[in-house]
Amino acid sequence: MVCYLSNTPLGHPMQQTWDQRLPIYQQLADLLAARLLDGDPPEGDAMPSVRALAGRYLLNPLTVNRALQALGDAGLLENRRGLGLYVMPGARARLRASERERFLATEWPRLRAHLRRLDIGPEQLRWEENA
Amino acid sequence: MDANLLVEARSLGVRYGAKRALDDVSFTIPKGRVVGLLGHNGAGKTTLLKALVGLVKPAQGELAVLGMNPLRDRVDLLEQACYIPDVAILPRWARVADLIGLMSGLHPRFSAARARELLRRTSVDPADKVKSLSKGMVVQAHLALVAAIDARLMILDEPTLGLDVLSRKAFYEMLIDEWCDGERSVLVSTHQVEEIEALLSDVLMLNEGKLVLSISLEDMDRRFVALSHDASVAEQVAAAHPLLRYRTGPGTAGNAALFDGAPAEQVMRLGQRVRPSLVDLFVALTRRPELDRTQF
Repeated sequence: MVCYLSNTPLGHPMQQTWDQRLPIYQQLADLLAARLLDGDPPEGDAMPSVRALAGRYLLNPLTVNRALQALGDAGLLENRRGLGLYVMPGARARLRASERERFLATEWPRLRAHLRRLDIGPEQLRWEENA
Repeated sequence: MDANLLVEARSLGVRYGAKRALDDVSFTIPKGRVVGLLGHNGAGKTTLLKALVGLVKPAQGELAVLGMNPLRDRVDLLEQACYIPDVAILPRWARVADLIGLMSGLHPRFSAARARELLRRTSVDPADKVKSLSKGMVVQAHLALVAAIDARLMILDEPTLGLDVLSRKAFYEMLIDEWCDGERSVLVSTHQVEEIEALLSDVLMLNEGKLVLSISLEDMDRRFVALSHDASVAEQVAAAHPLLRYRTGPGTAGNAALFDGAPAEQVMRLGQRVRPSLVDLFVALTRRPELDRTQF
């Protein structure tokens, strides 16, 4: 048995830092889904190619394929024969709905508990960023 | 031979005098893979890559590269396999455009148009003289020249050694984006393990001439289990005989252990399973005996 100090989880300047708890393809799928939610690329447009994504994120093309497959399975991308993957019409609305559901089910209870702990009420939360 | 296998090595052995540089090395490389070759200095990486292109004569075993015998069919082989050795240099006095002309004359499968297209991705201009380029630009130009060969296998020996982080990133971006098409394969040796881990589909690990691991990254994630755990349970984790124990950075439980195969359920419950990192696995499997005496 060897013992040493690992610096791997700190990530590396050359690339996106990937969380060690989740498969990388899953993290890439989440990252691409977040961009789709922001309209990048917009509905009806083509997704970047596997090779372009692999080059951009410095990932193996097989990993990129699995991530795109996951987005396809989630009904966000469609394969147009001979043309490649396109963003499905209605993808953003579907993403927003599932993200809202996830936020209300998992993030909000934690946030609410935190706000209670800090004794912050609704009247102290400003909704206008520059108010 | 299976047409899907670009490289097939069986019980390959290479000797330098009495020293065994490679000992009983067996592996295959199918098409469409990005294979990392890892090992300490002197582990046999360069010898293996040289054997693949017929620059070193094996003492034992069988070796087929693209279905050919590298020693006997070296000229034919180099038409379909590209190789950048660790000592690669481009002539300093030449202009990049001259090198494109030279390659067009030398190599039947080289495309000058493709080389110029690849160079447009870089900051290298065909009119530049090699001696005016930075080290990172020279390596980019070299990759552009080699990737313009219509080949099935690319063999790279420490291609990014001595380059700064942006040049290394640009190199790998071009390699993945312009070369990997699902049919061609790359075999790349490197010390910068953590940088290219996510790029790889497979890994070969050499230790003192022996192949200690040949596995796809997918199988690696299944076979090796890393357990992130709190210092308070360190003794119980150690009692389960991990391959390696290590400390981890901020934002983690602080300690981790690496197992070959999942340990017993009660051990798994002591922490959280995380993806094993290639660097940690490399340290566990290729340790040098003299460095092996440190204890927590």
